Amino acid sequence: MSAFAPLIEAVTRHRGVTACLVVSEGDGIVVDGTAQVGMNTSPFAALTASLYRKAGKASAAAGFGTVSYFELEAEEGRVLAAGRNGLLIVAVAESRVNVGLLRVELLRAAERL
Amino acid sequence: MIRHSVMVGWADAPVKRYVDDARLQLSVLMHPSGQVLAQHGFQRKLDVQTACALSAAINATAVQLGLLIDGAPFTDLHYAGTLRQLYLAQIPIATGTLVLLSVFDEESSLGIVQLYLDELRSTLATTAPAEQPDSPPALAEDFERELNTNLAALFGRG
Repeated sequence: MSAFAPLIEAVTRHRGVTACLVVSEGDGIVVDGTAQVGMNTSPFAALTASLYRKAGKASAAAGFGTVSYFELEAEEGRVLAAGRNGLLIVAVAESRVNVGLLRVELLRAAERL
Repeated sequence: MIRHSVMVGWADAPVKRYVDDARLQLSVLMHPSGQVLAQHGFQRKLDVQTACALSAAINATAVQLGLLIDGAPFTDLHYAGTLRQLYLAQIPIATGTLVLLSVFDEESSLGIVQLYLDELRSTLATTAPAEQPDSPPALAEDFERELNTNLAALFGRG
């Protein structure tokens, strides 16, 4: 069991969460995680890490400092990510997920990255 | 940033799309012998020549080293520098294997490069010519002349 397993387990326990990955922010490579069968995690991780980095640059350009949390809302689901120390914890969830609770869980998990 | 791009033949469009999608700084598609097929980002003929020669040498070394210690050739190689990273990948096509050198900075990432490289591999597997009747096998005595011919064609001189 990896050091990230408890964090991933805490996130995936939430109803509506379909995947949780720990991803290297710089490389966009999956470090650890769990996902439903059929999900292509490598491209997803690479693109999400890229989005997170770009969001960080936009935030810095706007003078808002570093990004610690990122949320993307789509038609049929959400992608939530929190980062620290060059790592991201990313959750993929259905639209019906309790976003507030999941956000708190992700930020808590990010503190332990 | 001004990006210089020179492409020829069937590899043009796929490699250009790969370079744009993956946000690369430099890219060269070559034969394992070092003969250049397409390049993007290099401004001087000599730079392409050097990059191809070094990449071909690294690839040959990785193949032999892989066979020696793992029983199978090492296919891809990633090196992360302070500001730039390189990814040297093998691309199988109908007539053999090509080598692709990709150089990127913080605008891209290893994951992004691998993602679009998979797309490029699929595309080149279908677009690369199945046979090359006009191109005889590369011989050591012809290598330098052929390399110079390719470079001249790529850079519009000669």
